[in-house]
Amino acid sequence: MRRDPVLDVRLLGKSFVLHAVSGREVVALRDFTFSLATGEHVALAGMSGAGKSTLLKCIYRTYRPTSGEVWLQIHAGEYVDMCALTDAEVAAIRGHEIGYVSQFLRSEPRRGALDIVMKSALQRGMSEHDAREAARLALTRVGLEPHLWDVYASVLSGGEKQRVNLAAGTVHPPRLLLLDEPLSALDPENRERALELIGSLTRRGVAIVSIFHDLEAIQRLATRVLVVEKGRLVAERDPQDLDERLAAAAR
Amino acid sequence: MSGAFGERRFEVARLRVPEWLLEVRGLGKSYGPHDDAVIASTGPQAGTAKSPLNGSVVAAWDVSFAVAAGEALGIVGESGSGKTTVLRCLAGDTAPTAGQANIRLPDGIVSLFEVAPAERRRLRIDTVSVVYQDPAEGLKLNVTAGGNIAEPLTAAGWRNFGKIRSRAEELLARTEVPLNRMDDLVRSFSGGMKQRVQIAKALANSPSVVLFDEPTTGLDASVAAGVLDLIRSLLEEHRIAAVVVSHDFSVIEMLTQRCLVMQHGRVVESALTDQLLEDPHHPYTQRLVAAARA
Repeated sequence: MRRDPVLDVRLLGKSFVLHAVSGREVVALRDFTFSLATGEHVALAGMSGAGKSTLLKCIYRTYRPTSGEVWLQIHAGEYVDMCALTDAEVAAIRGHEIGYVSQFLRSEPRRGALDIVMKSALQRGMSEHDAREAARLALTRVGLEPHLWDVYASVLSGGEKQRVNLAAGTVHPPRLLLLDEPLSALDPENRERALELIGSLTRRGVAIVSIFHDLEAIQRLATRVLVVEKGRLVAERDPQDLDERLAAAAR
Repeated sequence: MSGAFGERRFEVARLRVPEWLLEVRGLGKSYGPHDDAVIASTGPQAGTAKSPLNGSVVAAWDVSFAVAAGEALGIVGESGSGKTTVLRCLAGDTAPTAGQANIRLPDGIVSLFEVAPAERRRLRIDTVSVVYQDPAEGLKLNVTAGGNIAEPLTAAGWRNFGKIRSRAEELLARTEVPLNRMDDLVRSFSGGMKQRVQIAKALANSPSVVLFDEPTTGLDASVAAGVLDLIRSLLEEHRIAAVVVSHDFSVIEMLTQRCLVMQHGRVVESALTDQLLEDPHHPYTQRLVAAARA
């Protein structure tokens, strides 16, 4: 029997109207439909500009989709359409139900790593005490040295920031995790650690949609691959059947 | 309501969002006579807040929003867009021409523009506070820091000198004003320190709504950063409904979750703050964001 999806994206579309260039319309995503169950890890593959990040941002609702539906499971048998929620409802659900790890650390200025990860855990409903413990554990898991935990994250190196991001996204992991090139700035040792971490989340049942720029990460972690071209879903592949050309395109 | 995945049905969940503490509906302020034609002759489409028909300035019109406990709403726009007018109407500094503002109290809802003046003053003392850009508006400069903070406390009925003094100490400590400055005239304070005293005073009676009008504009960058950090941590500590008016996107990004954009006295766009920065829709918002990101 097929499991109920954690995420069900239906005919999702996104266009941008650029007023600075006389109202030009750029269509970034067209009629995108897919579904994701517990413990599934769907990797998006395709050229840069194909619409992969746009899809993640539409699901998280950093972008406001132009058309379609994004059904997110919040309890067994209960769903909300992220596209139909008010801003206040999105704000209420976002930190709690969805983790988003971007390539860049978009943290507020003048906040330390431990603070950032702890805030994320608090948003997911942990108590102050548990959140602190969970944050410590999450930072240890991504290999960030304790002497960096209270340093403003804005002064950390690219790879360190990315690990703070990953820790914040995966602490007390939510039902759905969106990963946008979370390994791009990591050295081999930290990359290995991060790969382990993401794999363990899938085994624990977290549903993941990801963008990776290398074949190895996709093949090691993904359970399915969606090939995106010009904003459309053009093919679905088994990660092991992914050819070099496609992986190169994903780069 | 329900939906389906193929044959299988599911329920559409009803989300619980926190109740609003401040609700503004159709707020408007016109300087000079106005009728429908005058209003229609102003705004973003007309490209001006000043009516070509009779010279009235429609500083703000048809502004609506709600803010919940623990939430901060930003209002951005360039100077003259009407954002401060909205705040001043809510603060009671300016009489609105149209609209309603409701405050949720533990024992019911009051309509800010309809209550008697005495009740209005009382609400301003213990429920709705304002932090102005210019400390001279929120503070008496020829009074000590302690004296300034004592003012809203005594207005709220505090009579015991020792208690007033210890509450003032507590607030100054929280806003990081050295306690040995407590009995100095505010006039002698630096800009950043004055702003901290103003914040301490605004919080004196633990208000449920705090309005911030460009709270860091005009301060040196490092001083502004310190004041912003203070506001951020206060908003996280207390379940306050905050409105933050600023022309500075970095302030809005740091403090608020949702945001309105105003131009020529009208709200042209409202969204989550990250949406506004990453996916602005209105031409004016796109220009503002492009300018901020340059």
